[in-house]
Amino acid sequence: MDDIRRPDRELVDAVLANRPGAFERLVREHQRLCWHLILRMVRNPEDARELCQDTFLRVHQCLHQYRGECALKSWIGRVAYTIALRHLQRKRLPLAESHDDDGVSLVENLGDGFDLEAAWANTEMLRHLHEAIETLPPLQRTLLTLYHLEELPIPDIAEITGLPVGTIKSHLFRSRLRLRDALETRTGVAA
Amino acid sequence: MNHEDIVSHELVREREWQAQERALRAERLGLDPHGDDARVRRYRLLAKALREPPATSLPADFASQVAAQAARSGRARKLRGGTLETVLLAGLPGALVMTGGVAMAMYAKTWLPAVRLALPTIDPQSLHWSLAFAGCLGLSWLLGALKPRDRTPTPR
Repeated sequence: MDDIRRPDRELVDAVLANRPGAFERLVREHQRLCWHLILRMVRNPEDARELCQDTFLRVHQCLHQYRGECALKSWIGRVAYTIALRHLQRKRLPLAESHDDDGVSLVENLGDGFDLEAAWANTEMLRHLHEAIETLPPLQRTLLTLYHLEELPIPDIAEITGLPVGTIKSHLFRSRLRLRDALETRTGVAA
Repeated sequence: MNHEDIVSHELVREREWQAQERALRAERLGLDPHGDDARVRRYRLLAKALREPPATSLPADFASQVAAQAARSGRARKLRGGTLETVLLAGLPGALVMTGGVAMAMYAKTWLPAVRLALPTIDPQSLHWSLAFAGCLGLSWLLGALKPRDRTPTPR
């Protein structure tokens, strides 16, 4: 076993041996990832809280199946992703939208001069940017969160979502391009 | 699209991807934005927004609540499993005896005459020995059952 996975294995063994406080520790260590992932997928905080709870109850029930082939974080993330995905399917909400073009047409849409500090201080612009993030489909929002907020490498995101690395890169590329375009439109309006 | 267009298309994509990745790294490391070009600066604003955690979060006692609920569910599962095992252990032999009895009764017309026919052909001498052997077995079982049990725990 990799040394990197040893703490994961020890924690899993402690939970399986019913050691007091072990499962609570596991939840505390991974609840942030689950919360961000599920909230980004389903958006509704009440649903997200419930699904987070379902995720950890499922983890508790199936932890004996963890073989250590991937990091525990990815394994738990996969459970959370699957549970959120089922929720979206039950509500008949689309996970992602199809792309007919690769977004390159947006690349050259770049205005002159851009003051980063001023833009960051502009609350209206930030609100607009957050709104633009919210309009992205659940999959794209989730991939951006895992990559930017959780700082997970793309192969780990692939383990969680079951998507090929190339597909993830393509989603990240298009989503960021689309958001940059939204920003461009805003700065154009502001100017 | 001809070959040159495809190559230029790929170059444009690659340049844009690199700008996105540079902005992500710079934002993570908190680097000074003054050296960045206009494209990277826009992506840095985006990266900054994407790194902001959501306004709502899980309750502070979420982990302890879930752990308590998991423990309760685990105990309930164990109890359900234990009850099922007991029911199966007691029920299956009973069901076996019952179905055997029903089958014997249903097909009695077939096997009973054959047994009756076979009985007189048994040699009386062999029957005596068989009965004596069965008697010995029964007595041995009875003595074993009456003997006080050894209550010393067995080593594990």
